[in-house]
Amino acid sequence: MSPFVSLPLALVCAADFLRVDLNSYLYLSALLFAIGFFGVLLRKNTLVIYMCLELMLVAATVALVAFSRYNGTMDGNVFVFFILTVAAAEVAVGLAIIVALFRRRQTIQVEELNALKN
Amino acid sequence: MTPELLQNLSADNFWPAIAPEVMLGVLALLLLVAEIVLPKKRHDVIPLISLSGLLGVFLGILLNFKPVGLGETTFNGLLRHSEGSQFLRAFFVLSALLVTILGIIALKKQKMPKTEFFSIVLVITAALMLLGQAHNFILLFVALETVTVGFYILVSYTRTNPLSLEAGLKYLILGALSSALLLFGIVLLYGVAGNPSALGATANPMDFDALRVFLAHNPDNFLASVGIVLVLSGIAFKIGAVPFQIWVPDVYQGAPTPVTAFLAVASKAAGFALLLILAGVFSSYSHLVISVLSIMAAATIVFGNFAALTQHNVKRLIGLSGVSHAGYLMLGVIAALTPGGGSQAVGAVFFYLFAYLLASFTVFGVMTHLAGPNDSDQELDHYQDLAKTHPFLAGVLAVGLGSLAGIPPLAGFMGKLFIFVAAFKAGLYGLLAVAVVGVVVSIYYYFGWIKAAFFPHWRPPLPTGSVADSRPVRSAVSLPFGLLLGSLAVASIILGFYQGQLGAWLLGR
Repeated sequence: MSPFVSLPLALVCAADFLRVDLNSYLYLSALLFAIGFFGVLLRKNTLVIYMCLELMLVAATVALVAFSRYNGTMDGNVFVFFILTVAAAEVAVGLAIIVALFRRRQTIQVEELNALKN
Repeated sequence: MTPELLQNLSADNFWPAIAPEVMLGVLALLLLVAEIVLPKKRHDVIPLISLSGLLGVFLGILLNFKPVGLGETTFNGLLRHSEGSQFLRAFFVLSALLVTILGIIALKKQKMPKTEFFSIVLVITAALMLLGQAHNFILLFVALETVTVGFYILVSYTRTNPLSLEAGLKYLILGALSSALLLFGIVLLYGVAGNPSALGATANPMDFDALRVFLAHNPDNFLASVGIVLVLSGIAFKIGAVPFQIWVPDVYQGAPTPVTAFLAVASKAAGFALLLILAGVFSSYSHLVISVLSIMAAATIVFGNFAALTQHNVKRLIGLSGVSHAGYLMLGVIAALTPGGGSQAVGAVFFYLFAYLLASFTVFGVMTHLAGPNDSDQELDHYQDLAKTHPFLAGVLAVGLGSLAGIPPLAGFMGKLFIFVAAFKAGLYGLLAVAVVGVVVSIYYYFGWIKAAFFPHWRPPLPTGSVADSRPVRSAVSLPFGLLLGSLAVASIILGFYQGQLGAWLLGR
């Protein structure tokens, strides 16, 4: 068999190999969620924490789209748009607060933001 | 998308059912327009417009308490209207009304733009009211996020004050974290319930009814259990239950006092409304829900009361005492879930929330009046000699604190009594013991506050040359605000003696 003939066959095999099953998406989503969650808990820079929060939302979105695709229900895809909108609103307000705080305190490191105490 | 499809989809939309929410939304926009249109000298009319609108909506809900469509779902199953949700609507509007009044007083002491505050309060109220009627996870999430994002803004509202901003940032990070947990829980439930190969799979897994049917068919699904626990922890953040209470003292201290009141009362009530709604949806997993909530409730009562003991800042104190109140309320929710408790426990939770609203706003009203220009700095020391200079305020404060502590014959006592009776009927003896110990401990710090206001205590003489007194200047109470505080306190007293129709309706269901 010449390589020219086997190329489409190889592509078909590769496509078959690349058909990702639901669990792979869920593992990816759980991994992203865990990275985001522990990032929020462990990182010190507020902006990095904020990115980790967004990562958690994206993790949920990945799982949502995968479920929606494999279960054949459209609600999940619609829900993604709501999540994106909500995340955008949250970022708009959140960054405004971070900028205002930086102007007052000249820092966004969490360990230095401890003025509220008994 | 054919016109017929759209027509079919909109056939279920029953707009009169959400008229109060629509009106509040329109009112919120109207305030912003009024700010542009009115000359600067007339801007103090804006809060009055907001107040009269809220009062109108409140009376409208009370007069039309059983509207058409009660007990039905509308908007393709997004909303479900019940008597409980009607009660919550009135509750949220009432708390928004009081928050607006406190806002007028508190914002006078700050050089801040004022209109947005009242507008955002209205938007949040509308979203809270929708939340109390949620029957679908998409609506639940969007309404909850509207509330949360609105609160981010309100908490950091005094943006010239770094403490307020810091509180806003803390609320932002932890609030967003809890939303992400809740969202992931929703996604897991959605995915599991929609799985075509599972028994009882549904084509509409976001719907609460469909989800309940699915869960009843699969009472021991692992992913569904994880989803339920995640959803519960997302809600536990909102009500400030242990182990998700870390934000409470800092955020309560940094936020402007009216916002603290709004967070303490309305946001917490919304969390319990959701908990009650979702407890019904998760009824086939009630063993899991009950065990999670029981651990949380016990830890919440213990933590809230013991952490409040050492506080000097009254805002932190009332925040941590609010944590313990959340614990007692969770006791009521658990009682509602156990077979012996039933609907009477739900009524007890609502009654407790109402008594908590009256008492909290009495205390927050006094706090707002006494606060100086720095809103976060409100110490127990500042209440010294209050009974001598302002006997009326001190008396009102004592009634409010007494009701929070659960001293008979005030409303707070009856609320606790109803919850404890419901818990006793449900056989939750261990939790009941923890709660009673918690109440005894709570009397210590509530009375410490009353003591600071009523009894003179020795202070070391100030060293020469130091600032004479750091306490904010006390002004006289205006007549309308005095009447409001007085009527709140009197309502607490009357509700303790005579529950009347409200009690009969709440407990007789």
